[in-house]
Amino acid sequence: MAYEGQERATGIATVPPVVGPGYTPRSVNEKISAIVLTHPTSRGWLVGFGISFLLLLLLLYSVVYLFAVGLGIWGINQPVGWGFDIINFVWWIGIGHAGTLISAILLLLRQEWRTSINRFAEAMTLFAVACAGIFPLIHLGRPWFFYWLLPYPNVMGMWPQFRSPLVWDVFAVSTYATVSLLFWYVGLIPDLAALRDRSRSRVGRVLYGMLAMGWRGSARHWARYQTAYLLLAGLATPLVVSVHTVVSFDFAVGIIPGWHATIFPPYFVAGAIFAGFAMVLLIAIPLRKFYQLEDFITLRHLDNMAKVLLATGLVVAYGYMMETFMAWYSGSPYEHYAVITNRMTGPYAPLYWGLILCNVVTPQLLWSRRARVNVPLLFGVALVVSVGMWLERFMIIVMSLHRDFLPSAWGMYYPTVWDYTTYIGTIGLFLSLLFLFVRFLPMISIFEMQELVAEEEHGAPRRAATETAPAAEAVRVSG
Amino acid sequence: MNTPEPVSLRLTFFQRRAWLVGVAGLLVGAMGLVLNPAQFFRSYLFAYLFWLSIAVGCAAIVMIYHLVGGAWGFVIRRILEAATRTLPVLAVLFIPLLFGLSFLYVWARPEAVAADPLLQHKSVYLNVPFFLLRAVLYFAVWIGIAHFLHKWSLAQDRTGDPTLARRLETLSGPGLVLYGGAVTFAAVDWAMSLDPHWFSTIYGILWIVGQVLTALAFAILVLRLLARQEPFVQVLTPSHFHDLGNLLLAFVMLWAYVSFAQFLLMWSGNLTEEIPWYIRRLHGGWQEVGIVLITYHFALPFVLLLIRRVKQSPLVLAALAAGVLVMRLIDVYWFIAPEFHPTVGGALHLSDALLLVGIGGVWVGRFVGQLQKLPMLPLRDPQEEAVVARPETA
Amino acid sequence: MARIYGLLAEFETPAELLAAAQRARDAGYRHMDAYTPFPVEGLAEAIGFRRTWLPVIVLVGGIVGCVSGYLLQYWTSVVDYPLNIGGRPLHSWPAFVVVTFELTILFAALAAVLGMLALNGLPMPYHPVFNVPRFAFATRDRFFLCLEATDPQFDREETRRFLERSQPRQVSEVEY
Repeated sequence: MAYEGQERATGIATVPPVVGPGYTPRSVNEKISAIVLTHPTSRGWLVGFGISFLLLLLLLYSVVYLFAVGLGIWGINQPVGWGFDIINFVWWIGIGHAGTLISAILLLLRQEWRTSINRFAEAMTLFAVACAGIFPLIHLGRPWFFYWLLPYPNVMGMWPQFRSPLVWDVFAVSTYATVSLLFWYVGLIPDLAALRDRSRSRVGRVLYGMLAMGWRGSARHWARYQTAYLLLAGLATPLVVSVHTVVSFDFAVGIIPGWHATIFPPYFVAGAIFAGFAMVLLIAIPLRKFYQLEDFITLRHLDNMAKVLLATGLVVAYGYMMETFMAWYSGSPYEHYAVITNRMTGPYAPLYWGLILCNVVTPQLLWSRRARVNVPLLFGVALVVSVGMWLERFMIIVMSLHRDFLPSAWGMYYPTVWDYTTYIGTIGLFLSLLFLFVRFLPMISIFEMQELVAEEEHGAPRRAATETAPAAEAVRVSG
Repeated sequence: MNTPEPVSLRLTFFQRRAWLVGVAGLLVGAMGLVLNPAQFFRSYLFAYLFWLSIAVGCAAIVMIYHLVGGAWGFVIRRILEAATRTLPVLAVLFIPLLFGLSFLYVWARPEAVAADPLLQHKSVYLNVPFFLLRAVLYFAVWIGIAHFLHKWSLAQDRTGDPTLARRLETLSGPGLVLYGGAVTFAAVDWAMSLDPHWFSTIYGILWIVGQVLTALAFAILVLRLLARQEPFVQVLTPSHFHDLGNLLLAFVMLWAYVSFAQFLLMWSGNLTEEIPWYIRRLHGGWQEVGIVLITYHFALPFVLLLIRRVKQSPLVLAALAAGVLVMRLIDVYWFIAPEFHPTVGGALHLSDALLLVGIGGVWVGRFVGQLQKLPMLPLRDPQEEAVVARPETA
Repeated sequence: MARIYGLLAEFETPAELLAAAQRARDAGYRHMDAYTPFPVEGLAEAIGFRRTWLPVIVLVGGIVGCVSGYLLQYWTSVVDYPLNIGGRPLHSWPAFVVVTFELTILFAALAAVLGMLALNGLPMPYHPVFNVPRFAFATRDRFFLCLEATDPQFDREETRRFLERSQPRQVSEVEY
């Protein structure tokens, strides 16, 4: 590993480049667009897409059966009214957060390494939000009335109840989906134009041409484009924080022990980024291998993402710690029973300890620099974290509900085969969309990579990510 | 290079003044110990927690800088480090509080504990010996971190050994973890347990964010005061202030976020265990303090910091940072004082001001003294090339 | 000869294009545009681009979203459909913050994207520069400067000679 060797030689944390050596704007363009335009469809892609598509069909089947028969096919009942549906909703929407984080927050922080991962991370966000959005809708008793959630004048003379976090969720998730789509599409416009101009087939030229909306790279357009992109990043940053905050309100606004904790908002946001970066790693590692993108998604990217994983994992662990401490400190028997006794020793205790192993213990490996650049190990840690974050939502939702205040109302939650098929089906939807995306759209932002390469090639000044251009005049501080 | 003497002379002069004012404030304030001991300790706790938050918050920002780097951190690094080196003095200033525990904390009064089953349950944690042991532990963590940050910083200036930067980075990861734990439990011990029945899991984060915000505003203010001196005059550009302004904006927003999160959840839950904390703070004039906080701790700085020209003007940004510092002071007061006084009118006391100035004078004196011990900009920080060369060559 | 849109000079590096654009502006040309595969710092200023109103548009969008979001909740919860929910006041401002915030972001983001497209005049399926075959490289690795015929100083021969002096790879006529 060049990265490691380099470091040992100098003894300090040298910063490896974010792009492999020897690239020009032209070769970047060719390498990325060739995956879409000229490479023949590989057998691996066909097999992968085929399997994902079969799983997607499983989702369709499960949902049609659900609509035909009703919610009784799932394991939810009294007292556990929220089961896999809401667990999966929170899990998926959390995964989505990393995409926006990479594209917006890292842009504002001028982290150039984000350039080669932001496009597919944003795509991942969209697909994860699509998967997430399915669950609250299909778990409505009458999903065909989902539009009752929206505020519109109706013959019943009723309006949504704006003091309910479930209504906040409708606004938060739909805003998030819309803004993520806009952000992703705006980022794609110049690349779609590049594909339009490189495509050899008429169909490609027409389709990419329509999507590119006549983009011609005018300097005036670029100036407004960059302003719009920065403004979108500035808007998306608080938005992404608000979305998982609102998801946490779905629980914390209620007064159920195990749900009603003031730390939920920041702890949910950290958990979302934690799960999201794990998923980005799970996607990035195979992609760079199968499409030979090691020069674009370098070990530095993996190292940085592993650091984010560790940092957010520690915040999540802090959340567990504070919940447990305060459950004891509060002196409330209900808090104590729900958060300590039942989680740690109750019927679901193995899942709780599994979650601690996945989310708290395993990420500690990432303190070691060597572990962070060990690709198979990192893949394994990311997988474990994804499982752990699913277990966390199981803990929060099921373990808090199945013990009601009165023991006579206690019960257990047993998911049915339909719970599993629906969950696996959404993974199929996610992967199908992802396969289509890498096949038909540039998975790495061409123009941003060109900009990066051109800067290194010519030493040409490049517009800084935040608007600090006047600073270049080195104006002296005059007070 | 101009002669640096006048600057350090002026600082020494300022330092002496600060000491004098501080000692005078403490002496006059100490008279309250005889006249109204309960009020003395209340005022002392409030003043102490405010000044402590600058020193501890600065340690957090230095460690964040060592982990992520950046021009903003390079220019304020020495200011932050000097502030962390005041922690031993703050540890000494903590001692007077130990004599007033029973005035401050219900759980430190045996007769109150005997009458309250909940306090008996908590007495495993909330008892005087364990409280002292934990306080020692918190200061050990903070002073330990400050010690190594200083030691390696000094060595870096002398030798420029590149492994030192790596070592500082290696310290900062675990250092931040320990720091977060220490601040959280210190907040629980010193402030939250003023009402021993009340609890909130986000409370530690409220203090962490508040401290970092206080420290950041303080560093911006000091940087502006030193901006025309050597060596800052050679290095500073509006872009440094722009970056610091953006950080200030981020923390102002974060403060609003965590504060609102706690409020919304407790307001909505309306549980008897939780809501008293807000009921106390939303009656007797305290609600107006709350509105002042929403307006001037969040809304006004938020709007102003969205404007680029504000962030790039050192004077305006420093004025804004000073405003944020005042608001931090009011926020700490809003956290502490309503526990003792149902109305704002009844809470305000001369000893609040005296002890704020007293502890502050001693603290500022110590800070200025420490500031002069090392060069005001790191000499061999590996970040320097990337940071300082940029505005010069562009 | 048919009327033309302008003259298009092709350069190999951003620096050459930037220099040529500056020269053209110094020579008094005003109607021009530059086309690049990725944003080039200072180029927009070099061809006379001042500032964009986009931030103002976004601000207005955000304010509209904020105000309408709050009024929507106030009107529906207090005026049109007052309902006691768990004893909370009809005007529950803490609860209304969330949706107000989300709508602020939504409207501001829509304003940013639609405003950018509108100011840029996109979508625009047809534009004369696309008539130059080499222009396909404007999205790959070539940098173009177009001096437009509407410029009072434009003269087919004179302007061509002027452009040649910047040593472009080639100069082509852009037909309508």
